[in-house]
Amino acid sequence: MTYYLTTVLVYAGVDALACLAISLQFGVSGIVNFSFIIFQAAGAYTAGVLSMPPDTANGGFQTYILGLNLPFPLPWIGATVVGALLAPPIGLVVLRRLRSDYQAIAMLVLSVIATLVVTNTPPFLDGAAGLALVPQPLANLLDPSSAGYEWAYAAATVVLAAIVFVIAQRIINSPYGRSLRAMRENELAANALGKNSVALKMSVFVVGGAIAGLSGAILVGFITTWAPSTWLYPETLILFAAVIVGGRGNNYGAVLGALLVPVGFEEATRYIPPFGPPGLIPAFEWVCIGGLILGFLWFRPRGVIPERRRVFRVAAAKQPEEERGAG
Amino acid sequence: MSLIVAAFGFGLVSMSIIAIAAVGFTMQFGITNMINLAYGQVMIASAFAAYAVNNAGVNIWLSMIVGAVFGAVFSFLLNRGIYAPFQRKGTNLIGMVIISLAVSLVIANVLLPIAGYDSVSYHLDTGATFHAGSIALTGVQIAIMAVAVVVMVVVHSLLHFTRLGKAMRATAANPTLARNCGIPTARVIDLAWLITGALCGVAGVVAGMNSDAFAVANGSEFLIPIIAAAVLGGAGHPYGAMIGAVIIGEMTELSAAVISPEYKQVVAFAVLVLVMVLRPQGLLAKRGALAAAG
Repeated sequence: MTYYLTTVLVYAGVDALACLAISLQFGVSGIVNFSFIIFQAAGAYTAGVLSMPPDTANGGFQTYILGLNLPFPLPWIGATVVGALLAPPIGLVVLRRLRSDYQAIAMLVLSVIATLVVTNTPPFLDGAAGLALVPQPLANLLDPSSAGYEWAYAAATVVLAAIVFVIAQRIINSPYGRSLRAMRENELAANALGKNSVALKMSVFVVGGAIAGLSGAILVGFITTWAPSTWLYPETLILFAAVIVGGRGNNYGAVLGALLVPVGFEEATRYIPPFGPPGLIPAFEWVCIGGLILGFLWFRPRGVIPERRRVFRVAAAKQPEEERGAG
Repeated sequence: MSLIVAAFGFGLVSMSIIAIAAVGFTMQFGITNMINLAYGQVMIASAFAAYAVNNAGVNIWLSMIVGAVFGAVFSFLLNRGIYAPFQRKGTNLIGMVIISLAVSLVIANVLLPIAGYDSVSYHLDTGATFHAGSIALTGVQIAIMAVAVVVMVVVHSLLHFTRLGKAMRATAANPTLARNCGIPTARVIDLAWLITGALCGVAGVVAGMNSDAFAVANGSEFLIPIIAAAVLGGAGHPYGAMIGAVIIGEMTELSAAVISPEYKQVVAFAVLVLVMVLRPQGLLAKRGALAAAG
C-alpha cells in the first residue's frame, strides 16, 4: 500500500511538472512542442548515465556513454541543464521562420526520429533495451527499499513540483509573462510593439526544457529504468490532453489536468477487469485520450479551469505615460 | 558499387510510393489548408480494407480499387465529421494539428483490435524478376511504378485540363475570391477530400504490396517520408511533392545501402531539417512553410 501511494505521488509530481512546462509553452506562449517528451527523455538519460557506474560494471550487460557515478544532487542538476541546453538547437531550426503548424509537425517528426536514432545506436544509450539498474539517489547512504525512503522520495518530488509551480506562477504574472501572452494572441502586434518574439519563444523553450529534464530525472530515479518505449511521441499527446482538459495557460489547470489525465487514467484502468484480447484495454485508453482532446476542444476548449481574463483599465494604462512625463 | 546501383532501383519503387502519397497529402494541405497528420493511419486502414477483400480471394488490382474507394470515403467522412466542423468553429492552425494528431491516435487504436497485431501480406504473384545491370525488380515493383506514373498523369490532367481542376487551384489560391467568383468551394473541397483520399488509399495498398508484411504499427512510419517529400517540394504544391518524392525516395534507399537500413527515416528527416533551415518555403512554392506575411 505504501508503495502504491508513493508511486502515485511520484507520478503525480512528475506529470504535474511536465504539464506545467507544457502549459508555459503551449498555453501561455502558443508553441506546440510535440517533441516535449524527448526533453524529458534527455533528462532521464542524463540523470541515468551521470549516476550510473561505467558500463563495464555489472558484467557489462548494457552499453552507454559516460557512467560517471556522480553523487546525488549532481545527476538531477545535470538533467535539468541538459534539458535546457537541448532547447536552443531545436529552437534554432524550428522556431525562427516556420509557420506555427509547421513548427508542430517538425517537432513531431523530430520526436519520432530521436526515438529511431537512440534505438538503433546501442553504444550511445543501450538502444532498444534502454538503461536498467539506474542507482536511486543517495542509495549508498539510505536503504531505497524502505518505506521511509519511498515517502521521502515522494515528498521531495511534491516539494520540487511545488517550487516549480511557484516559479511558473511568477513567470505568468510577470511583465515577461504578459509579453508571452501578447505574442500568443497576436505575434505581429507583439513584434510591432518591440517584443522580439523569436527570443521570447526561445527563452520559454529553454525554461520548459529545463523543467522537462528535471521531471525525467525524478522519474528515472524512482523507476530505475529508461528505454525508448517509454518516450514514444504519443506520450507527449497525453500531456497535451492533460493541459487541454485542465485548462491551458493557467498553472492550476495544468496541475489539475496532470492529476486527471495521466494519473487518473492510469489508476482508473488498474481497476477495470481485463476483458477482450490482450492489448484491447491499452488501445481503448488511447482512443479515450484522443476522444478527450477532441471532446474538450469542441465543447470546452478552455478546459476545466479556464484561464483568467485579464483586463487592463484605461487609467492603469495611462499611468506609465505620466511617470515617463515626470521623469 | 553494384549494391548502390541495386539500391537506386529500389529507390525508383520507393519514390513511386512516396509520390502517390505525398501528392495526396500536399493537395489536402493546399486546397483545404489542413495538415492531416492522420494521413498515415488512413493509408494503413485502406491497406487493411484492401487486405480484407484480397484475403477473401479477390485479385490484388481489384483490391487496390477497394482500398482507393475506402480511403476516399474515409477521408471525406473525416473532413465532414471532424475537420470541417472544427475549422468552421474558427480553430486555429495549431489547434487543427493537435486535432489531426488526436484523430490519428484514435484511428490507429480502433484499427488495432479490428485488424489485429500480426503482420499480414497480400496474396499476389510477384511475377518474373526483371534485371537491368545490378537492378533487379519484381513484376509487382514494376507495376507499382506504372501505377505511380498513371496517377501522376491523371493528377496533372485533372488539375490542368478540367473545370474541377481549375476550381481546385482557384480554391487553393484564395478561397474567398474563388467563392465570390461563383465557384462552389464547399463542393470543391468535398471532391478534393475524395480524390486525395483515393490517392491515400492507393498509396497504402502499394506500400503494402511492396513490403513483405505490414501491420497497423506501420501507419505512423509512413508519415515521415511523406511529410519530408511534401515540405521539400513546397507544401501545397503537387509538382513539388513529386520532385520531393524523387529526392526522398532515392536518398532513403541509397543511404540504406551506404549507411544502414535503420537510418532510412533519419536521412529523410535530415533532409527535412536542412530544407526547413535553408529554404523553408520548399523548392517550388513561394511561401510554403514560411510564416504568413500578414
